[in-house]
Amino acid sequence: MPKIVVTGLGIITSMGHGKEATIERLLSGQGAIGKLHILQTKHHDLPAGEVAYTDEELKQFIGMPLEKRCNRTTLLARVAMKEALEQAHLDKVFPDKVAFISGNTVGGMEKSELHYHDFQNNDDWNEYIGMHDCGSCTEMIAEEYKGQFQLTSTISTACSSAANAIILGANLIKDGTSEIAVVGGTECLSKFHLNGFNTLMILDKEECKPFDAQRNGLNLGEGAAYLVIETEESAKRRNVPILCELSGYANRCDAFHQTATSPQGDGPFLAMQKALANSGLQPSDIDYINAHGTGTPNNDECEGIAMMRIFGDQMPPVSSTKAYTGHTTSAAGSVESVISILALQHHFIPASLHYQHPMAEHNFRPVAEVLTDVNLRHVLTNSFGFGGNDSSCIFSSYEPNHQVNNNIATTKAASHPVYIRAVSQISIQQPLDEQWFDQPVFPTEVNNASQEPDYTKYINPMAARRMGKLFKRAIATAVDIMQKSETEQVDAIITGTGLGCIEHTEKFLNAMLDNDEECLPPTPFMQSTHNTISSQMALHLKCHGYNCTYSHRGTSFDSSLLDALTQMHLGEIHSAMVCGHEEMTPSYFQMLGKIGYWKATSDEAALHRHDTAGSFSGSSSVNLLLTDTADSRNLCAIKAMKALYCPSEQQLSDALLQILAQEHLCMDDISAIVMGLNGDQQNDEVYLRFAQQNCPQTPIAWYKHIFGESYCASAFGTYTAAVMLQRQHIPAHLLYTSCNTSIKPKNILVYNHFQNKDHSFILLSSC
Amino acid sequence: MEELINKLKEEIIDVLNLEGMKPEDIDENAPLFGEGLGLDSIDALELIVLLEKNYGIKLKNANEGKEIFKSVRVMAEYINEHRTK
Repeated sequence: MPKIVVTGLGIITSMGHGKEATIERLLSGQGAIGKLHILQTKHHDLPAGEVAYTDEELKQFIGMPLEKRCNRTTLLARVAMKEALEQAHLDKVFPDKVAFISGNTVGGMEKSELHYHDFQNNDDWNEYIGMHDCGSCTEMIAEEYKGQFQLTSTISTACSSAANAIILGANLIKDGTSEIAVVGGTECLSKFHLNGFNTLMILDKEECKPFDAQRNGLNLGEGAAYLVIETEESAKRRNVPILCELSGYANRCDAFHQTATSPQGDGPFLAMQKALANSGLQPSDIDYINAHGTGTPNNDECEGIAMMRIFGDQMPPVSSTKAYTGHTTSAAGSVESVISILALQHHFIPASLHYQHPMAEHNFRPVAEVLTDVNLRHVLTNSFGFGGNDSSCIFSSYEPNHQVNNNIATTKAASHPVYIRAVSQISIQQPLDEQWFDQPVFPTEVNNASQEPDYTKYINPMAARRMGKLFKRAIATAVDIMQKSETEQVDAIITGTGLGCIEHTEKFLNAMLDNDEECLPPTPFMQSTHNTISSQMALHLKCHGYNCTYSHRGTSFDSSLLDALTQMHLGEIHSAMVCGHEEMTPSYFQMLGKIGYWKATSDEAALHRHDTAGSFSGSSSVNLLLTDTADSRNLCAIKAMKALYCPSEQQLSDALLQILAQEHLCMDDISAIVMGLNGDQQNDEVYLRFAQQNCPQTPIAWYKHIFGESYCASAFGTYTAAVMLQRQHIPAHLLYTSCNTSIKPKNILVYNHFQNKDHSFILLSSC
Repeated sequence: MEELINKLKEEIIDVLNLEGMKPEDIDENAPLFGEGLGLDSIDALELIVLLEKNYGIKLKNANEGKEIFKSVRVMAEYINEHRTK
């Protein structure tokens, strides 16, 4: 198992731009929280950690033309990433296998909330419609490095997003998929999430006081931070200085409540415990804990209790740096990882500012004054998010001869087969079964609603009271596959959703704009965070395992599958629920229509033409149960997967050949290629050109003509292929090219791309 | 008071989206949280918004809700005493 080292760091927060400014501020013991100046809000008196630079100044840092439209989340990220890449000597030409994984939750909301009514009423700000979702931010951050990154992805697990980006990047490296990963998160302040946290009544009206008995809540912050991580061998080969090691990490789910942590801090406890096991370290090895420590009564109490369960009477020095920066939400995981690494490198412990009164519930006191000249070897940092998405990372000083002593199995794909054990869907088609296989419903509208099952069979009315349809669909499909497969528990729940619960997001946004930021309901805000879907499933199934959410536009599901397969190959997990959930509201449908997503026709025949622009929409949910256990009931095996970012046609061909060679197959062995043809001329041309150049004889199958298009629609590619392999038949209505329908499929290749940027191949074979 | 209690029950069912529940299903003397109706901290926040929006009562922190939301009757009494609209 390769040792993973850190070779680049970049950071921007209210403390300043760059590592030097950050260290100086941390050592000064002066917080960087004050009144809001840049964000225009009625609540400008709420203290926050706002980055002092305007959008224009941020653009100047990265040499972006001032007139170019860009959101602040992206700008902050670009600034931090530039610094990290320069330090890691990645500023010019990248080696081959560099992944970029970025976390964010509010996406382009700070622009959407300004222009939401414009989006609906005029065409002046349409560009920002396409910059609203989380994945679009990652796309804009990566834009500068087109053709350089091997693959990109976006994680959206609220306040643990950046920590989970670090974890995926590390797993991709351990698995051998990548050699280097640029990982972290970014988030700018928006009225939306300031008001959202305000409805939860967890914002302190003064500067926050983490771990103080009289703490009153958190202060929001903004910022971005990125780390460059790579194998030790890669760093040595590239001759770049090694800053430290990433020695352990874990993601676990509290599965307790949507916004509150369980009284004994079960999720935080499991995350820290697993991170320690992953690093091969003992609790006594940890020299400093950079706690999540938001300053809310609930978090600090439960996190402290969880730490006491791990460290007992031997609590290492603990501090929360959120009183310096505010809670930078999706960026917090990487912001605090960078802070922890700077502490490790420069031998200091930042203070838990404003701490005065000990908490009765804890046997420890946080570090109240900055400590210098301390020898740190191992530092643990916690990041917890809504929905109990809890992650911990451990960074250690670099020791060249130190052997990696972790307990991760070193076996690769060959010895870890992955099977699809059960599938379920809710869509335009008859829900929760495969009737579409023989009797499909052909969509007749540009915007198609899904057929909903009777949810009372799956969810009791009290649990359903806060759930939009999307959550009900997620739980119904989750319960369905658990029942079908007679499975009691899974090791991981991983969701792909481009927009999350857009119905609730718009509900909160409308309420905020209509009521002038007053009297807002907390429920729609809470449900607007993308990871609510995954965490609601965990809550329902009481699943404390790995829990993650990908919001990466049209390859959100593909990212989820990549994560699951990587961990299964590493032997980290043995089963996973991998899903795609997407819904569409009338207003968001209309907005996406303005930027060319949908066909401008209500004529049914014209819907299915391939020589016009746009597709048609379908709300949809797909849930797959993956297992590494052979079983006669398995639908098929997943042999290989490859994700690519902005590949050349040559790189696509090479990737295909590589997958085939790895499985000792040739193109003739592929019974069909399942592609995401959706009727949009530009989209379909990419697929058809690929087929023409690489596999002109291979039958082409499609699925979006019966399931519709959405950010997670690619999930139906793997789903339909799995059902074809199980039933050993490809029905005529799924064949795009006319050919023999008596084929008994043996191997099916699923090919998906989104706007010719992110591409993925998934190879499935009959069992 | 009884009129307010009934109105309040309807508002609670609406704001908390208690599907399929009717005002008569809620016992105005039973606890709203925990044992009784089984509401949680998010419901409490929704009720705080209800107080502000419909009755002009603004609470400073969520803890104040604990006493006020003991039952629908206690809530109605509190509203009667403190309402500004």
